[in-house]
Amino acid sequence: MLTPEENQRLTRVSRGTPMGELLRRYWQPACLSSELPENDGAPLRLRLFGEDLIAFRDSEGKVGLVDAFCPHRRAPLFFARNEECGLRCVYHGWKFDRAGTCVDMPSEPAGTTLQSKVKLLAYPIVEKGGVVWTYMGPKELIPLEPDYEWTRAPAGHRFVSKTFENCNWLQALEGGLDTSHSSFAHNNFGNNKAEPRQRDRSPKIDVERTDYGYYYVSTRDMGAEGKYVRVYQYLMPAQQMRANNVGWFGGKNEVPRADGHIWVPIDDTTTHVYNFMCSYDETVELTPEWVESRETQMGRGQNDLIPGTFRLKKNQSNDYMVDRQMQKTQNFTGIVGVNTQDFALQEGMGPICDRSKEFLGASDKAVVAMRRLMLEALDIAQNGGALRGLNPESCRAVRPHDRIVPPGQDWRQLFEGELRAKW
Amino acid sequence: MLTVEENERLTRIGAGTQAGKYLRRYWWPMCLSTELPERDGAPLRVRLLGEDLIAFRDTEGKVGLVEAYCPHRRAPLFFARNEECGLRCVYHGWKFDTKGDCVDMPSEPAGTTLQAKVKILAYPTVEKGGVVWTYMGPKELMPPEPDYEWTRAPATHRYVSKTFENCNYLQALEGGLDTAHSSFAHYNKLGDRTNLRQHDRSPHIDVERTDYGYYYVSQRNVDDGKYVRVYHYVMPAQQLRASVIGYEGVRNKPARLDGHIWAPIDDVTTFVYNIMCAPHPEDELTPEAVETREKAAGRGREDSLPGTFRLKRNQSNDYMIDRQMQKTQNFTGIVGVNTQDFALQEGMGAICDRSKEFLGTSDKAIVAMRRLLLDAIAVNEKGGTPRAVDPKTYRNVRAYDRVVPTGQDWKTVMEKDLVAIW
Repeated sequence: MLTPEENQRLTRVSRGTPMGELLRRYWQPACLSSELPENDGAPLRLRLFGEDLIAFRDSEGKVGLVDAFCPHRRAPLFFARNEECGLRCVYHGWKFDRAGTCVDMPSEPAGTTLQSKVKLLAYPIVEKGGVVWTYMGPKELIPLEPDYEWTRAPAGHRFVSKTFENCNWLQALEGGLDTSHSSFAHNNFGNNKAEPRQRDRSPKIDVERTDYGYYYVSTRDMGAEGKYVRVYQYLMPAQQMRANNVGWFGGKNEVPRADGHIWVPIDDTTTHVYNFMCSYDETVELTPEWVESRETQMGRGQNDLIPGTFRLKKNQSNDYMVDRQMQKTQNFTGIVGVNTQDFALQEGMGPICDRSKEFLGASDKAVVAMRRLMLEALDIAQNGGALRGLNPESCRAVRPHDRIVPPGQDWRQLFEGELRAKW
Repeated sequence: MLTVEENERLTRIGAGTQAGKYLRRYWWPMCLSTELPERDGAPLRVRLLGEDLIAFRDTEGKVGLVEAYCPHRRAPLFFARNEECGLRCVYHGWKFDTKGDCVDMPSEPAGTTLQAKVKILAYPTVEKGGVVWTYMGPKELMPPEPDYEWTRAPATHRYVSKTFENCNYLQALEGGLDTAHSSFAHYNKLGDRTNLRQHDRSPHIDVERTDYGYYYVSQRNVDDGKYVRVYHYVMPAQQLRASVIGYEGVRNKPARLDGHIWAPIDDVTTFVYNIMCAPHPEDELTPEAVETREKAAGRGREDSLPGTFRLKRNQSNDYMIDRQMQKTQNFTGIVGVNTQDFALQEGMGAICDRSKEFLGTSDKAIVAMRRLLLDAIAVNEKGGTPRAVDPKTYRNVRAYDRVVPTGQDWKTVMEKDLVAIW
């Protein structure tokens, strides 16, 4: 449980709020690289942390991210011309490069000094791992570029997608640090008791703090076969990594891999979820067909999205197309799609979950640990101390792992060496 | 740049706000005459300066404008019966005439004294120039009826239309007092440098205050002189400009005097009245000429959502912007001159945040307008009479444009051009 003040402190992200300032200390995904497919292509509307912005890929292929409104008379730069290494406002022709410098001001008399005085708000950009990242914090505190194993994996071994979620980022992140709900919300196979997640529905959870956040170990009892152990990674501020070497039914997955999400606040009440996958096996590429089948299982295949958007067809407005008959006979929720099930539960908490009314149990240990780290980080940021997960050195080697640990063996020994990045 | 407080003062127009009280000192367009085509016809919903109203043309042809809710139990008068010189509420049959008097109260016992006590809020109206005007200010301060040249022009030489705009009135009005943007936003033939507005894209601007607001002169250097346009700002929210000369520098056929009035629906939406007036008897505005012009502006017959004053190309579909067209044909990729304006003005947000802007010399006329409005609000607060309340101040005002040959003074050349002939 949190007090209303703590809840407010943790959830609000606009500029000037404590969490807003903390999150701005990190590089954050601004969009997918594929959303800006061509040089001098159409400008893209983005909203990040409550700020309206425009992204564009300039004539050199470099990405700019600027205030959505021209500094002159606040005309919308969405309609701007993206040409010759800059965005030209179509109201009076003022032009800005990706650094925000005004490079032309044709509506003013030649030789005007105004041009050198006007700047457009512009955020630095780096492209890595199929994602366009930006840094919106104080210039003097800019960290080194983001560097995760999945951003280094070859393109054929990595896949990133993006989904719109209609609620505050924190309740979405909490769902990602909560292994226990998968025995219920994702009980999708007719209550098959052979499923590891059904054999033990109250996993033991241990959290270990690290320089980047924490890892947590969930241990499910598999009787004579031993234990199903999963090591999840929480990389501050809002990234989760989990391994899927073991399939839903306990066998080896055809594509052993890490999966994960980054939850990026659009504003206080909406979020973009970045979904990434990274194949662990050099010889196993992520083929488009396999990716599509996996994304469909998650609920965000090509046919699951409203065309031209990152929004699911099964959404809040239609109760995620819940099928009560299916719920009685086939799966736990009556909803199709693993992450669609998550959205139904997370969005259904309301735009911002009221944590002053919750009641936590032992299965919520990792959720509580994340909140504590966050509250501490808010203080650290205010006092100018070192933040976890800010230095890419702390993140670059992080890898999640999972496997069945035979009876009598220590998971730590078996996992040693597997929790380090290989890409 | 304005302070947040000044921006609020200029943009909020509800009853009781400073700008709201000031704007209520003037006659305002309330609807087009054609929106009330017949006597005893259907009541019309009107929202003006944040107030919900109902207009109706009574049995005698007079237009009434009353509060949208019956004073009895607040039933909507939109559903009322318009009959025998009054609106009869369909809830309990109470009936009100154009003056707001209750003329029947059949649900009460005969001889009730209640009827004499009940009034419905009613605003005076006058029809002129194809527009129904209303006055929503204090009764004792009501000015004489509006009297612009275009309201006196014969019907064959005048045309008025109306468009819905999804933002505060002030950023729309500012677009109308900003000749500089037409070299960019309305650069509709890329590469064509014969266009007068492309010869010189940073026009020289001079503003002269007057009794009615100001006129401003924009001068663009062209081959053999200056392209001079004299615009008028008639307070509080009317712009008059001339389109005697076309974009290519040749006299338009017909030549036109154009203008707009931006009438606030409420703080965040606006009706734009679009005015056309022939400058000379030979410039008759035929239906074909009107449709050609309205289409170029983006509001031809095919451009509006049927039964509304809203454009099909609007905020919900990004004005159907065509990025390929933007690369090869015009500056914006948007079709329709005023549609281009809407994209830019509506895109500033419901109320533009002027505390974040950065003005240049091309914005001189905009700055001058804001100063006049802030002054006028202060004058009104102190009980004075603001500019342009008296029709005598503006009745002879006329806009004009000309190419003035090198060496000649525009004031001398254009002296007679700038006086109303209708």
